[in-house]
Amino acid sequence: MSTSFLENFLITLTLYNILATAGISLYGIVTRPSVTKKIISLTILGDTFNVLAIFIGFRVFSVPPVLLDLDGSVEKLTTFATSAVDPLPQALVLTAIVIGLAVNLFLIFLALQMYRLYGTLDSRRIRELRG
Amino acid sequence: MRKYLVLASIVLTTAVVAYVTTYLGALGPLGLDTRYLAKLFLANTYNPAHRELTAMSPEAVTSIVWDFRGIDTLYETVVFYMAIIAALAIYRGVSYSNVRRGSGLSLIVKVVTKLLIPINIAVAVSIAAHGHLTPGGGFQAGAALAVVSVLLAVVYSAHSFVELGVNLSRAVALRSAGLLAIALVVFTPIVISALTGTQAYLMQNYVKVDSAFSFPAHVQSQLISGTLIWFNLAEFLAVSFGFFIIFMLLSLREEVVREWVGKEDEH
Repeated sequence: MSTSFLENFLITLTLYNILATAGISLYGIVTRPSVTKKIISLTILGDTFNVLAIFIGFRVFSVPPVLLDLDGSVEKLTTFATSAVDPLPQALVLTAIVIGLAVNLFLIFLALQMYRLYGTLDSRRIRELRG
Repeated sequence: MRKYLVLASIVLTTAVVAYVTTYLGALGPLGLDTRYLAKLFLANTYNPAHRELTAMSPEAVTSIVWDFRGIDTLYETVVFYMAIIAALAIYRGVSYSNVRRGSGLSLIVKVVTKLLIPINIAVAVSIAAHGHLTPGGGFQAGAALAVVSVLLAVVYSAHSFVELGVNLSRAVALRSAGLLAIALVVFTPIVISALTGTQAYLMQNYVKVDSAFSFPAHVQSQLISGTLIWFNLAEFLAVSFGFFIIFMLLSLREEVVREWVGKEDEH
């Protein structure tokens, strides 16, 4: 089985889209003065890399990594092992999502506290504050 | 206008570069075969013939998450735990006792929510209990149950937590119970083997080459995949009440928190 030009193009386009989104979100983190927008950009960056990991594990003409026949026959296991997508990136992404969520939660609470104490979330103005 | 021009140029550049790359075949042929490591995981996720290697779960992702790479998930749970501890530390001293009763949304929304909440809980428990058989697991189920706390806070106001008897310390206690259950499953092989004078590994699921300890894979012919169901249920408890804590803190009225921030500044 081989892939057509259109399939190859769409897969390549997905890869470049992921890279472009990563670039845009990095730009957002660095240049946006608002802490809220920095956090939003960071969330998009994290999700983009999660999609990239899933994309790396994806195989054309494959099935989800869930075994449907539990009779334990060697033929069915071999077919499953050669036809399913790579489950490792999916498991790693699951871990990355939870850790990303934990980091985001922490940042959101810090930003909330920052707003309560300084009355602004503009990083330029926060930098000028003393004491 | 400039914003749209930049956006259009990014989209166009991405499409053109992708087309040229495909036309030239610059990325090489697509990998149609599954990787060796993936084959190893897939072949051993449910393989009764190799009990010392398998996780006895048809769901390969859960097998990796809680068995093949279980220590990873344990650290992940610790990171999530630390984030909630950090949130609690920032809100130290804030009490739910002086939260006033809010009117909430309209009666229609309240009735619909009342009907939805039991369905939501049932779905969450099902995702956790079937995590070793179908896509899902403890974390996904916990996230599904967390929706209940958001619904309660938005539709009935934050005071509904007080009415239901869910306060911060109870949520922290239930979350700690989930984490303790995870620790219990992690240390059970070691403790039982030590009592019987044999050896075992942390988080051991089934027999290994040099250890005879094994969790039951079936209960009355129903597949429970050894430790996986227990880890999923414990993680479900820990994550759902972790989220409860977060949403309870975030749904506090700004005046209550500001009053406390003022008191903190005085010290």
